[in-house]
Amino acid sequence: MGVNLVSLARRAPVSVYPCIGPEMLPAVEALWQARGIRLSATPRDAEILLVAGEIPDDARPALDRVHDQVPPPRAVHHWAGDGDPHDALVALRDRLARGEGLSPDRQPDEPPNEWRGKGDNGQGGKGMMGGVPYGRPMAMTDDDLRDGLALDAYSAQFGPFAPMLPPGLVLDLTLQGDVIVKAAVAAPPFPQPPEASRPAACAARLLRLLGLDGPAARVAAGRSPNAFFAVRAVPAGLGAAAPGADIRSRLRGWLADEPGTYQAPDPAQMLPGLEWHEAVLTLASYTPDALRLACLAAAEGRAA
Amino acid sequence: MRRFRTVSVVVFIIYLAAALVLALMFRAAGYWRADTAPQAAPFLGGGTARTHAWQRFHFRAYTMTLVFIAFEMEMMFMYPWAVVFVEEGVKAMAEMGMFLAILSIGILYGWREGIFAWE
Repeated sequence: MGVNLVSLARRAPVSVYPCIGPEMLPAVEALWQARGIRLSATPRDAEILLVAGEIPDDARPALDRVHDQVPPPRAVHHWAGDGDPHDALVALRDRLARGEGLSPDRQPDEPPNEWRGKGDNGQGGKGMMGGVPYGRPMAMTDDDLRDGLALDAYSAQFGPFAPMLPPGLVLDLTLQGDVIVKAAVAAPPFPQPPEASRPAACAARLLRLLGLDGPAARVAAGRSPNAFFAVRAVPAGLGAAAPGADIRSRLRGWLADEPGTYQAPDPAQMLPGLEWHEAVLTLASYTPDALRLACLAAAEGRAA
Repeated sequence: MRRFRTVSVVVFIIYLAAALVLALMFRAAGYWRADTAPQAAPFLGGGTARTHAWQRFHFRAYTMTLVFIAFEMEMMFMYPWAVVFVEEGVKAMAEMGMFLAILSIGILYGWREGIFAWE
């Protein structure tokens, strides 16, 4: 009976959280179709951290943070994109089950910032406002874009390994609730090979963001999405770069296998005013190439 | 009566013991959990937060919830009213009509103020 249970557990797909490096997006996206591998949306949900390709030095601290967020016992698999990693991942999970190959925390077990508050309960300053508990300020009120009701703004860096953003892109965002009020690009997306900007790959990526995994898999395999509602799943008129050029039209073009000559706007200009889901869909409605070029051009424009 | 009292005391003790065992189990699970500082950090795809997430934000659905409560209250009154209506007849009908009219004025007012426009 015990032996049966173990073999039954081994049949479950290995859940991995992918950290995608430069030139590795198509290889990792091919894993969506791979049998026996499940790409998880958060490190909490993963057993193994899949580090695909060479992670540049400036993204290493972020990689360490994501690594430590995979709950122990955890393991790391470095993958250069060659061949099917399934067997290696299963072998790694077997070793984990035996208590071998564990990857210890890379960061010290200390709060990321030093405690500098005044109160006993972490309040720091007066009431909910002010103070710097654990070296991090409390949210302060900021102007709202929509109706001027000034409430607290939350600012954070997102990426470079956020599952809903292009790999490598680091966004410096200030949010009011779910509305982005300020945006800046801290790092552009990693360069990706031309396959990543293929219409089918881009359409599949957008469909996956919409939660339409089945149609996404069919599109990625070069078939019809077989879902007449797929385009209508995107709100009409969202992400309109020009009249008649919204996300829907870009998705429709990709589904018709038209690469489109869409030039992406600078995310720092494009994102403020959008809600989080709108921002994510808008970013995914441009090819990774176009987005990288836009970020680099904007950075050059600022430097000049 | 005495037997009933004995049984209830025994049941009480069983419940107390079960609660104590459960509480101790949860406490032990808390000790075994690997809750390190990096694990407690929010997941931002490798990014870090600049401010704490304890904040006030505009709950934009609240006008919708008020309308929902208005409709719900209406329904709540209608169930007991249905019983009264069987006894009283037209009089109850007229009273409910008045109540619904007042409520509808509120809804029409909200409509004019734009509470049904989702933003």
